[in-house]
Amino acid sequence: MTNLQVGGDQPAGQHLLEVRDLFVEFHTRDGVAKVINGVSYHLDAGETLAVLGESGSGKSVTAQAIMGILDMPPAKIPKGQIFYNGDDLLKMAENRRRDIRGKDISMIFQDALSALNPVFSVGWQISETLRTRTEMSKDAAMKRAIELMDLVKIPGAKTRVKDYPHQFSGGMRQRVMIAMSLAMDPKVLIADEPTTALDVTVQAQIMDLLADLRRDLNMGMILITHDLGVVADVADRIAVMYAGRIIEHADVHSIYKQPAHPYTRGLLDSIPRLDHKGTELATIKGLPPNLMRLPTGCKYHPRCPYVQKPICVDEEPRSLNLGNGRTSACHFAKEMLDGNLG
Amino acid sequence: MFRYLVRRFLQMILVFIATTFIVYALMYATGGDPIQALAGERPVSPTQRAQLVKEYGLDQPFWKRYLDYLNDLLHGDFGQTLTGRSINDIIAESLPTTAKLAVIAILTTILVGVTAGIIAAIRRGGIFDNSTLILTLIIIGVPTVVLAPVAQLVFTIKLPWFPTTAGEGNLYALLLPGIVLGALSVATAMRLTRTSFSENQRSDYVRTARSKGLPTRRVVGVHILRNSLIPIVTFLGIELGALMAGAIVTEGVFNINGVGFQLARALRTEDTPLVVGIVSVLVIIFLVASLVVDLLYAVLDPRIRYE
Repeated sequence: MTNLQVGGDQPAGQHLLEVRDLFVEFHTRDGVAKVINGVSYHLDAGETLAVLGESGSGKSVTAQAIMGILDMPPAKIPKGQIFYNGDDLLKMAENRRRDIRGKDISMIFQDALSALNPVFSVGWQISETLRTRTEMSKDAAMKRAIELMDLVKIPGAKTRVKDYPHQFSGGMRQRVMIAMSLAMDPKVLIADEPTTALDVTVQAQIMDLLADLRRDLNMGMILITHDLGVVADVADRIAVMYAGRIIEHADVHSIYKQPAHPYTRGLLDSIPRLDHKGTELATIKGLPPNLMRLPTGCKYHPRCPYVQKPICVDEEPRSLNLGNGRTSACHFAKEMLDGNLG
Repeated sequence: MFRYLVRRFLQMILVFIATTFIVYALMYATGGDPIQALAGERPVSPTQRAQLVKEYGLDQPFWKRYLDYLNDLLHGDFGQTLTGRSINDIIAESLPTTAKLAVIAILTTILVGVTAGIIAAIRRGGIFDNSTLILTLIIIGVPTVVLAPVAQLVFTIKLPWFPTTAGEGNLYALLLPGIVLGALSVATAMRLTRTSFSENQRSDYVRTARSKGLPTRRVVGVHILRNSLIPIVTFLGIELGALMAGAIVTEGVFNINGVGFQLARALRTEDTPLVVGIVSVLVIIFLVASLVVDLLYAVLDPRIRYE
């Protein structure tokens, strides 16, 4: 297992995908928003990494930086590396990078209704990359589109291939998007909150589908979500983000058993549970930090129930290696882990 | 779809009848003396007058005259001008010229306006964007009454590139008036295209298209363009109808024998049948144009279905 706080001097290429010490900021008229502040994570073939965090924690921006679809400007990447098969995507020429985008690494988005183009049929959109990026003929691409729609279990794919996105239900639309992302047989699939816009029963079906596809096609999957309940069944590892940093990283079992960061514990405590019926649901107090004016020290200290002055206020905690690939960016990570805090 | 068409057709008939009625009534209400207008400077004797009044049915009540007229109209007969020429002939002669003029104008609008709008949207906030913004504001502010004579002076007399008058209208002679006619809608088309395009640029589906690894020219030229075209096509269709009708000034300045020219003359000579006839034709053109636009709308945007 690799230590997550790797420095820039470490050799690349041990992982399928590796984000290393990434910084992203948005330059706006009101100032500079520091959205990503040194994110590092990696992904291997055949595994699922869940990236967890609330709105504005930078989980989507990291994904968009990997895809290379950030609008620059206003976004700027002052520092960091993103290795795909050992090559730094950020140093690549745009045409080489575009070659990887959508083919080796592809992405599905949250709201399939707005993420699909309303004026083209779903078959047209699924087959578009095949028609334009491979030698495949129009007919063959359309046939492949039907196969892909079958693969994501859209009933009656053959008759529905000419339908438009608005003619599908929310869950089917998301399946269309998944089919589209699979067209070029990607090695890495980034799913950015794929079930947020769906109702609960459909959510479960889509998550099952993604898990099956990930296994059958042996892809690496990055699952971006703010829903801890969603990740428990499908993810191998979890990276928890807060204010543009990974504040805790561990395999799923360890993190559910004993979180090593107060924020993760806050998240876990705020999941509604049947055996807590009748008691008030725990919440994390306060609001996510303003990215234009981040707090000093630990970015979580204004909301942390265990905050210890002065260290938490003055000193930004380093990412501590807790063994077994587990890290936590808390001054009291060891105490958290041993259950001696709170 | 069929029911929609039937409904639209019935609506068109209603609008058509209402418009012709209003124009007919207005011309009637101006209360000129068509007999004297017919005779020009010459004196008209009371017997001649009485005969002419009877011949043209001017002694009939208003509603009877209108119904007679409408009856002829629905049989495709626009009647005669006061000078005895067939209005059908006049329209058949002048309409193609005006149509050519309008097509040149609309092509100008598309080539210059839509293209510039797209460039401005892609380079939003740049020099091109800002300079065209100022330029279009100026153009919008200058009426055709000013633009047409100035263009005529500059491009036919100072710089003799085009013939001063277009007359029966060969295409080259119609080029300058066509561009002048299109100039106004160029500005509007550009602003509209820019807005529509920028809005679509920010859409989620653009991000999806980019994440598919499509080259920028395909994202812009296929995904964004197709969506941005919807409001632009609407505008252009209506504008084509308006251009056919709104060429009165331009046709007057360049002395083009088009519909607008004829209409202006008819108004001057108080030739009620000719005015109403031409307006009826323009109304029909306008109605058909808006129907075509509405149908195109459904072709461009699959979310729109007519029931």
